[in-house]
Amino acid sequence: MPPSLACSSSTLSCAKQLCKATASSTSSRSFSTTPRTQQRTTRARRALYRWLATVGDNFRNPLPGSTNYLGAYNAQGKLKRVVEAEYKKANDKKMDKGNRDIPKDPSEALPPESARDRTPFPISRSFISQSVLSEEFRDEIWFRIMKQGKSVREVSVDMGVEMSRVGAVVRLKEVELEWKRIGKPLATPYAKAVMSMLPKTGFAEDAASERSLPERKLFSKPKRLMSDEERKKLRAANREQRAIEARGIEGRNFARHESINDLPVHSKTGQQIFHPTSESRQFTRADAAKVFDERLLPADDRIPHPEMVVRQRELVEGLSDEERMEKAQLRAAKAESKRLAEVAKQVAKDSKTKRVETPRWEFRFTEANVEDAGKTGRGHKGVGWRYGVPLYDRNKGLVKIPQSVE
Amino acid sequence: MVVKIRLARFGRRKAPFYNIVVAQARTARNSKPIEVLGTYNPIPQPPTDGEGKPFKDIRLDSARTKYWLGVGAQPSDPAWRLLSMAGLIVPKYRPGASATQHAPPAPK
Repeated sequence: MPPSLACSSSTLSCAKQLCKATASSTSSRSFSTTPRTQQRTTRARRALYRWLATVGDNFRNPLPGSTNYLGAYNAQGKLKRVVEAEYKKANDKKMDKGNRDIPKDPSEALPPESARDRTPFPISRSFISQSVLSEEFRDEIWFRIMKQGKSVREVSVDMGVEMSRVGAVVRLKEVELEWKRIGKPLATPYAKAVMSMLPKTGFAEDAASERSLPERKLFSKPKRLMSDEERKKLRAANREQRAIEARGIEGRNFARHESINDLPVHSKTGQQIFHPTSESRQFTRADAAKVFDERLLPADDRIPHPEMVVRQRELVEGLSDEERMEKAQLRAAKAESKRLAEVAKQVAKDSKTKRVETPRWEFRFTEANVEDAGKTGRGHKGVGWRYGVPLYDRNKGLVKIPQSVE
Repeated sequence: MVVKIRLARFGRRKAPFYNIVVAQARTARNSKPIEVLGTYNPIPQPPTDGEGKPFKDIRLDSARTKYWLGVGAQPSDPAWRLLSMAGLIVPKYRPGASATQHAPPAPK
């Protein structure tokens, strides 16, 4: 049974205040049927009201513009990071006794939160609230994909965001623009409220050189012609950006959102296999993949960005910037030609398919060849369900229900 | 005896799958036909690229079908529907058409 909120004369003063706040009229009658003797002030109850007056108070009036998790407060209800910063400042002062200007309002200069401050569940310390992409960051991703025409792969590497997330951001942004176009109301206050409570990966204005360029302003302002000087500036910045990219990920000057090159877990690699092999033989990751499954690709090819590994390898080899740029362009050209070949193949396949639209379905007609069945008419490649071939559905010892869902 | 173009039901329970066959009219549905012209999967498949309507897959040897129509094979109603969609014969029934137009036109 929940404890009654009616105030008894023996509760603490702070508790009384709380009672006033929650139940505006102090009624002498309680709706609880628990006998009075069981509602006596226990230690747990005192602790509860003490907590409500100290730590709990922070959640009644949450900190604006910051996360507000349980793990961020100490027993006195003070932000741990603020206490630490004050302690450090006091120590520094003692050390050099210099007259530094101290910010008067502590809320104005909150120290940045660490992983410790992002634990919503004090008992589960390993659960850390992960940051989400800020509005500017998402705008930037959309801009790079849709306006600058960069590939998802490229943007993923540049900004340190997984490819699937880049795709999702662009799709959602497109939905948002479509809604704006047709005048559908957006839940902006809700989005703002949620975003103000979550840890965010921000995108600083001056972080990437492209951001501060005139071209970037097309996003918010009507299109205008660039002057020669501006164009020169843009080109220089692009060159700089390309140099940063060639240098590798160390050249980045803004925060990465997440790790982007994690090996996805394949269901075939779930089992433990003891595979004896001779010591004299080289056993590579490709061989390991073969052991798991004949058709499984090696880990080097299954990672989302194998090109990052190649780039790093070239860096270690000590190739010059020009050489690496050349190689990167060659790789890009190869990938593009491969993509075009695939598209052409798909187009050729589509051209052979006749599509008939009905209100509910689309009927797809593909050409078959009767001759494929062979002279006897019993060939494996023949069109249609085969005659005179038994179904093994009812045989014993065969698995009838699917064993895994892919 | 009449030669018909009709569907022969294969597949499991609640998972139909049809062969489009040329067979003598009086033989059993799933008996060995004169020829198998193609297949028809009536269960709508989710679109391959994730966009658009679900599709029903039909494989058909149009050259052989034209031959059999030319020598007087008579499509059954469901077969007529499929073949007319493939553009091999004139549609038999049109929704909203008057009774006079319902007379089946001669195959091409």
